[in-house]
Amino acid sequence: MEASVLRAKNLTKRYRQGETWIEALKGFTYDFPPGVTAVVGPSGSGKTTLLNLLAGFDTPSEGEVHLAGHPLHALGEDERAGVRLAHAGFVFQSWNLLPTLTALENVAFPLLLKGVPRRERTERAQALLAEVGLERRAGHFPNQLSGGEQQRVAIARALALDPLVLFADEPTGNLDSAAGSRVLELLVRQAQGERRVVLVTHDPEVAARAERILRLKDGALVEIQERP
Amino acid sequence: METFLLVARNLKARPVRSLLTLLGIVVATASMVLFLSFGEGLRKALSAEMTKFGPQIRVVAEGTGTFGVPNPELGPEVLRTLKAHADELGIARLFPAAVMMKGSGFDPATTFLFYGLPEGITPKDLAPAAKVVAGRLDPHPDGAVVGKQKAEQSRLTLGKTLRLSRKIALPIVGIVDAGSGFANSFIFVPMEVVQRALNTTNYSVVLIYVKEGYAADEVAEKIEALIPGVDAQSTTEAVKYAERAIRIGDVIRFGISLIALVVGGLLVANTVMMSVYERIREFGVMRAIGARRGFIFRLVLLEALLLALSGGALGVAAGIAGSQVVNVYTTHAVGLALSAVTPRLVLFSLLVAVSLGLVAGVIPARVASRISVIEALGRI
Repeated sequence: MEASVLRAKNLTKRYRQGETWIEALKGFTYDFPPGVTAVVGPSGSGKTTLLNLLAGFDTPSEGEVHLAGHPLHALGEDERAGVRLAHAGFVFQSWNLLPTLTALENVAFPLLLKGVPRRERTERAQALLAEVGLERRAGHFPNQLSGGEQQRVAIARALALDPLVLFADEPTGNLDSAAGSRVLELLVRQAQGERRVVLVTHDPEVAARAERILRLKDGALVEIQERP
Repeated sequence: METFLLVARNLKARPVRSLLTLLGIVVATASMVLFLSFGEGLRKALSAEMTKFGPQIRVVAEGTGTFGVPNPELGPEVLRTLKAHADELGIARLFPAAVMMKGSGFDPATTFLFYGLPEGITPKDLAPAAKVVAGRLDPHPDGAVVGKQKAEQSRLTLGKTLRLSRKIALPIVGIVDAGSGFANSFIFVPMEVVQRALNTTNYSVVLIYVKEGYAADEVAEKIEALIPGVDAQSTTEAVKYAERAIRIGDVIRFGISLIALVVGGLLVANTVMMSVYERIREFGVMRAIGARRGFIFRLVLLEALLLALSGGALGVAAGIAGSQVVNVYTTHAVGLALSAVTPRLVLFSLLVAVSLGLVAGVIPARVASRISVIEALGRI
């Protein structure tokens, strides 16, 4: 059997709030297949907590997460950062880009962290910007770009190191519908080969583009809906 | 390299704040450079003085400070004894002088130091490089030869009369450039005139040239052993003595400038800390993408270092400029360039600036590198 790329087992997260403990995620178990998987649910259902744990931003109270074969639940912060750099890409709702870097430099940033030589970095970043249709905006700073353009730069950056998993958290949340559908289109297109795209959203129209939908409620996985 | 770019861009993104912080460090470093340049200047001036001063030993009455004006307390027997033992002591040449100070002693323009030289001795015997600027070199038999510096300071010209006492006055017969700051502030007159003005037959000082092959220190020691009640001060001993005094001054001056430096350091720490708090989200994005703690730590530390180092470099430049201004003044006032910015002072100041940056940057860097990703991204 092929080793799974992104797998969670009995994933549980508890937070202390004053005197009481809140269970934000309860025993989430799932092995993400290739393609686009949407995680939906009302606010407070545990979507963000799940993404935090899957990406290794946070550690679970119980359970396991394996990303590209690495047991994130058992690794330290810096080791998790290393795994993220090598195998994961991120697109957040907003405020994705480093404001003092140009679009090109933002896309090249993960390559810088990885220690890729400068020339190679620039070439790869240029190619990625072309892929998202922004080759003409390479020298622009984030505040000179529209929201949609910023998200496309973020997608290009997420793809810089050809990750196995692409995490997107409400990527169209701050965009008008035209820009939003273009960004969504671009994201869905990235689910090629072994790559998994995990799309966290509360928007049913966005979720409708996924191959399967995981529905969370009160921290528990209540439904897995496969789409044709 | 890109890390550096990232840091520079961030500093540029907040130009006013960066500039103000920079200015704080510039002022702190410049004041330190200037303070410490006095010690370096004194050292340089002193060693230059010592090479320009001919005699290697001066014999004065016990209790006279190394650079003090000696009182006429040496009787003729001192001179006789020295002459009698000259050969065995290693003395090549010696001559006495009588010194008299008139005026306040505080303001160089109104202080007059009359240096009485015996017959046959000219300012050239005191400062071998002495050259005549106007008139003649020898004050004998009844004139005064004024050091160049003194002449400018007190507006003394040939033909003017100098009064040593109510009854004794001498015309200025020469202006001399002794090539040394000390000797250039003297007024050379016949020794007998000073003695008459002081109403004594004593000498203030006996100046000694040591024979070749003899160490001035050792000769001085032998003289002190031979004649009780005298101090034989060699120039090397004077330099050592002065060095000790200068070093104490250095410590005090560094202590004072340390206050400015600490304030400068706090300024850097404050600026960098503020910039860390403003960029928490940015650091969160970096960490999310995969930046390790060390990367963020270096990024913030480099920011503090860059501020401190560029501020330090500019501060050194400002200090050098300040030192030049000080020298224009002190050269005019006392004939010595008292401030000097030596390479080792530049190096020391830059080193202090860098350590300042390091110390000021460590805490913000640590804070920045320890921010949790979910907190930074507001993902709780």
